[in-house]
Amino acid sequence: MSRYIAKAAIRGANLIVSEAEKMLQEAIKELGPETPVVFTNTAYYLPVILGFTGIEVQTLGDLQQVIDYAKKLLHPVPGDTLWLPYLGETLDCGVATLLAEEAIEGIRFARGLQPEPIPGLQLTGTSFTSPDGNSQEEEGGFANGPIDDVQLRAWGIQLVDGRMPGFAAIVGAARSNEAAVSIVRELQQRNILVFLSGNVNGRSIIHQLMEEGVEMGYDTYIVPFGTDTISAIYALGFATRSALTFGGLSGGQARDILLYNKYRVFAFVLALGEVDDLKYATAAGALNYGFPVIADTVIPQILPTGITQYEHVISMPFDDIEGETDAEKARRLVQRCIEVRGIKVKITEVPIPVPYGSAFEGERVRRADMRIEFGGRNARAFEYLRMADFDEVEDGKITLIGPSFEDVEVGGAMNLGILVEVAGRKMQEDFEPVLERQIHYFINGASGVQHIGQRDITWIRFSKAAVEKGFQIKHLGEILYARFHADFGSIVDKVQVTLITDEELFQEWLQKAREAYQARNIRLADMTDESVDEFYSCTLCQSFAPNHVCIVSPERLGLCGAYNWLDCKASYQINPTGPNQPVPKGICLDPVYGVWQGPNEFVYQNSHGTVERVSMYSIMRDPMTACGCFECIAMVIPEANGIMVVSREDPSMTPVGMKFSTLAGIAGGGLQTPGMMGVGKYYLLSKKFISAEGGFKRVVWLSKILKETMRDELQAVCEREGVPDLLDKIADGDTATTIEELLAFLEEKGHPALTMDPIF
Amino acid sequence: MAASVPSVQEKWTGKVREVTLGALPADGGTRGRTVTVGGENTLPFLHFEGEVPHRPAIAIEIWDHPPEDWSPILLEAWGDVLQDVGAWAKKAEEVGADLIALTLDSAHPEKGNTSGEQARATVRKVLEATTLPLIVYGPGQVDKDNEVLVAVAEEAAGERVALGNCEEGNYRTIVAAALAHGHLVIGKTPIDVNLAKQLNILISDMRLDLDRILMDPTTGALGYGLEYTYSVMERLKLAALMGDSMTQQPMIVTTGFEAWRAKEARVNEGVPAEWGDWTKRSLLWETITTMALLEAGANIVVMRHPEAVKKIRQVIDKLMTKA
Amino acid sequence: MGLSGLAIYKLLPKTNCKECGFPTCLAFAMKLAARQVELSACPYVSDEAKAVLDAASAPPIRLVKVGPEERKVEVGNETVLFRHEKTFYHPPGFFYRLKDDEPADAFAARLEAVANYGVERVGIELKADGIALQSAAGSADAFGERAAQVVSAGLPLVLIADDPQVMEAGLKAAQGMAPLIYAANAENWETMASLAAQYGAPLAVFGEGLETLAELTEKIKGKGVEDMVLDPGTRGWSDSLAAFTQLRRLAIKKNYRPLGYPIIAFPGEGTEDELEEALLAGQYVAKYAGFIVMDHFDPASLYPLLTLRQNIYTDPQKPIQVSPGLYEIGKPTPESPLLVTTNFSLTYFSVAGEVEGSGIPAWLLVADSEGMSVLTAWAAGKFDAERIAKAVKSMGVAEKVAHRKIIIPGYVSSISGELEDELPDWEILVGPREAINIPSFLKQFAA
Repeated sequence: MSRYIAKAAIRGANLIVSEAEKMLQEAIKELGPETPVVFTNTAYYLPVILGFTGIEVQTLGDLQQVIDYAKKLLHPVPGDTLWLPYLGETLDCGVATLLAEEAIEGIRFARGLQPEPIPGLQLTGTSFTSPDGNSQEEEGGFANGPIDDVQLRAWGIQLVDGRMPGFAAIVGAARSNEAAVSIVRELQQRNILVFLSGNVNGRSIIHQLMEEGVEMGYDTYIVPFGTDTISAIYALGFATRSALTFGGLSGGQARDILLYNKYRVFAFVLALGEVDDLKYATAAGALNYGFPVIADTVIPQILPTGITQYEHVISMPFDDIEGETDAEKARRLVQRCIEVRGIKVKITEVPIPVPYGSAFEGERVRRADMRIEFGGRNARAFEYLRMADFDEVEDGKITLIGPSFEDVEVGGAMNLGILVEVAGRKMQEDFEPVLERQIHYFINGASGVQHIGQRDITWIRFSKAAVEKGFQIKHLGEILYARFHADFGSIVDKVQVTLITDEELFQEWLQKAREAYQARNIRLADMTDESVDEFYSCTLCQSFAPNHVCIVSPERLGLCGAYNWLDCKASYQINPTGPNQPVPKGICLDPVYGVWQGPNEFVYQNSHGTVERVSMYSIMRDPMTACGCFECIAMVIPEANGIMVVSREDPSMTPVGMKFSTLAGIAGGGLQTPGMMGVGKYYLLSKKFISAEGGFKRVVWLSKILKETMRDELQAVCEREGVPDLLDKIADGDTATTIEELLAFLEEKGHPALTMDPIF
Repeated sequence: MAASVPSVQEKWTGKVREVTLGALPADGGTRGRTVTVGGENTLPFLHFEGEVPHRPAIAIEIWDHPPEDWSPILLEAWGDVLQDVGAWAKKAEEVGADLIALTLDSAHPEKGNTSGEQARATVRKVLEATTLPLIVYGPGQVDKDNEVLVAVAEEAAGERVALGNCEEGNYRTIVAAALAHGHLVIGKTPIDVNLAKQLNILISDMRLDLDRILMDPTTGALGYGLEYTYSVMERLKLAALMGDSMTQQPMIVTTGFEAWRAKEARVNEGVPAEWGDWTKRSLLWETITTMALLEAGANIVVMRHPEAVKKIRQVIDKLMTKA
Repeated sequence: MGLSGLAIYKLLPKTNCKECGFPTCLAFAMKLAARQVELSACPYVSDEAKAVLDAASAPPIRLVKVGPEERKVEVGNETVLFRHEKTFYHPPGFFYRLKDDEPADAFAARLEAVANYGVERVGIELKADGIALQSAAGSADAFGERAAQVVSAGLPLVLIADDPQVMEAGLKAAQGMAPLIYAANAENWETMASLAAQYGAPLAVFGEGLETLAELTEKIKGKGVEDMVLDPGTRGWSDSLAAFTQLRRLAIKKNYRPLGYPIIAFPGEGTEDELEEALLAGQYVAKYAGFIVMDHFDPASLYPLLTLRQNIYTDPQKPIQVSPGLYEIGKPTPESPLLVTTNFSLTYFSVAGEVEGSGIPAWLLVADSEGMSVLTAWAAGKFDAERIAKAVKSMGVAEKVAHRKIIIPGYVSSISGELEDELPDWEILVGPREAINIPSFLKQFAA
């Protein structure tokens, strides 16, 4: 906590509370204690006071106890030599400030001084959402004052359902009129409500907008509360009433109201111009709601998070902001505000000149229809997604470095690098490959664009028709920007796309991308079950196998082959209530069989009591159940003291006298079938592949298609297991389709399983 | 020699939540009565082992404009009241509805694209025509659902109307409207236990109290997927009784809509003689669908034909009688 | 709870002699575990193993057969309380009650109506199951005569008579037809039991209350009668639901042998109202009856009930399939749109229903996806470009449809390119993902 801020805020609080008390005494003396105090068109008394204290203020007399309460919250201004953790005191004083400010507005209402007269101000007529309107509006010349209940509900619905991401309480005056207009336009574009109040040396942003002819009022989502700092209290009144209306809370539940706002109302304070004591004090009050403060002047920052979700107070001096014009600087300022509050950008449309949608995913672009291709036989293309720090990524920046394809002949090819840089509070390096794989689906959604492959074997084609409609390389960036925000907004806050055709840069980044691919491969290979604290569940298939639960660990991917541990982890971040849930390992009950307390409990609960125990590394004892989607079936062959692994793609007869389809009928359905298990084919490569029974050396028969398509990887496994020629000792559909043939084959080759411990 | 038969009473640990539709004047509404469903701590109608405190409720489906594609049998049964939603509501109350389920079909972009304003007027009219609590369905098209249901929520503020349908891809606006104006919501998921649970979690995460959420597991009519709905409902009910909190919402099924979509109920032209008399067959199509889902755990059934309603009312009377 | 395949395997001879018809002992063991074969198929199984295996595999509800082999009604052998837990195996039989004092013409006409009733639904022939012949005249001759009439119609019989003499006349007429005797009660059980033993007929046992019933079945079993059917005496909605549920739970969860038999129900005795009789019969279909005796025969109620029975007794893990083919929805012309979908019944019904609802006549091509829904089939490779192309080529689509445009489900948009390769003359259009959006798609398409 900054001592400077604490001192200023505490000073400001003391001052405003005593001012409020003075005003109250005068008002009571003049008007009498029974004089009604009412905010027009709202049913929440004085809402901030109601929220914090539960007091239902109806008369001037009722305000006395509010002032008394506020006084108790005040602390003395800290001395210059004393070093204290001031946060608590400052926040308390912030609350006192808010109570005093609302009391003052209450008194002003009683005196008929609110809403504040602002000569020349015309608010855009309230629509049907506010049938009563403020009668004075028609004549004009007044600020809005508190937002009425009807409008609160209408906007509240949008705030709650997410169409409106939050509100910005702007206090003060912008550097220039140009900056003022740019700030509100930026906010408007993002559907963020704008509340205006305060001034700097008598000049308010309200005046600036009036001069520039910016329409204000409910219709334009820009609401001028008043030209002093005190009127900013209406913004917090709005926040409090949102919690009361939509959070099911009632007056006096201060803590719940503040938490509701912290987690659900994405609001922030933007202090423009010099920050005086009262502004600090008011800002301290706003911090209680979890609303961070961003100032465009030099003030001390409060960075550690706690009361707010991220930083508390940010200083972004206007002069230091990058940008040619005030408008550009203002844009960056708003961008920063959005980051600090963690407001998610919603993008619903992909702005490209060709139709876009999943319906185009399977479309082909044939050579004859093709304008240009990237990658393929005659060129190379790569795609590389990496995470970066917030300040390294400019959201929405899409750049093409190098030439476009005008000079390439029709049907020609060129190199292309797609570099996607993302930043996000919840982003992790481990999610890079998960997100990168989405590029394929995202790009394929454009009509007339075909995407094949991934990493450095990416291959993209644009059709002539698409290019005729105006489709350009940079539109790939538009697609990726829009879709990553839309689909992965919970992980990703900022997305920047660089498209590289410049040959030198292309080669440079290709190299970097390849290094990254390699590093990821190693990272994946190094990830062990021991190295993590939790596995993930997958209950996606319960729609047809109601009691089946997959437990996915780093060394055992889902049996369908589609979900590895990282995918599940990312999926959980994106969809916390979805089918992939974290399963803490808990106490290890058997390291050999791979039994933990956590998975046991999870499986018992989610199999609805049908499966009590699950061994992660065994086919014989409590093996994992299967839904029916397995890539392969592993099954024990007692006569051979080993197991066979049959691929879904293998239609031939196996030595046990059953084909895959028959075996599948026995293995599926979510029942534990010792001796039988559905597995993903990459599990065969894991060190934990039926390690309880001796691992890969137990494999005596393997579908030929697996042997062929995974030969290199399997060879590496054989070497790891210490039997380099093992693969040749394993039978397949060519060498054995009966037990007798199998046994003869194994004897002849001297398969190690024959001499291993009995499998049961 | 007296045989001693072992007891097979289950000791369930969970129960279905009670949900009340409609609000009396004292509670900020204008309804003449409220309807509470749920609360059972045993499988449907098994009075020998638990409490079934509230009988399942029958809602009658009415439309805000005359339904052109309904079966002639239905059109004939209702007659002139189809022309006027208020008259229809009144008639529905007379023939024995516990609830009125108003579908704002005319708001569908292809069926009139009427506005939120019109929806308000319609709801106002129905509120005035009947004293029963309401269920209000949008036209089933995301944007229009949000438009008209928000308007309806405001118009009927405080009436504890059940607003439907919330779906996984579109629930936030409807839930927000319910939060703002004191209503209930119906969460609809496609015949899947986990999706139903998930939607309940998502909705309650928005702070709508659990006693304001109904779940619609998606109805399959007799011969058209009934068995899927039947089993998903049995599984949800069992999970609820076993204590899984997010499956304990009362269930609502739209048996009238689904049964009358079936060819067997809708038409009589060119159908086999073995299907029998059209009227009787179609009535049975609706009532058997409804009966089966009541036995699977439905707490609210949304029906169409007045005679079918009468029969189901008798059946519920008898099922609620303790043996 | 049955034994796992491996546990059974341990008890088998492990010689892979193949005499059971399976290539290995393990394959046989797996089939046994799935209860798809009888242990007796193994000639070498030891007595010890047999004892263990028999005990594990004896069904908790006895399988009871009624009627001649060709039209037999077989009920019992159920293993679960809820169909989602596995499946319900043996659908209840619908028997129509005829009284032996009815005029000959009327009797013959009603008998014929029941005997000849048959209608197809999703490729399965639905039929009424049999006649419940009730002695009303109290005459053995009349009863025997009418029983013979039913026998000659080839229908399974339930014989309803209190007087053992009358009953015997019926049994004589129905020798070899395994008619169900209704019913033994506390008074007549001894005579009825000996009749059942003598004629090899299953015996229904009536007893009010489960204790009474359990006592009676034990006594009757003592007389050597194994095949029994239970009537706990309840007739209404709520009491029957309670009693039948308890009977089913006793058998499945407690393995309580004295009540481990199928149940007979009489919905017509629970209400005067014909429609309600049908509804109550519906409850009995869902909730555990094995034989349902109806008083009113009417196709308008039988057809929905048979449909319900088909629904409830569908194996949840083996979805019903629709025959692949080119279906006409409405009255399509060669210009009408052509859509393709899978042959999973639910998929077919939702697509067909929506197309029909749209009011636009269309052709619906149902490809053989082995009964899987669109996404599942696509994931399993059962609804790929090759299969769709095969359907287009083999179902004579080109002859009926003049245009060359085919609409595929939105969920498989990714195969559109491959499908173009397979069907070079066709334009591949991607339709909506969900059936519910078909009407607006078709309207736009037609416009």
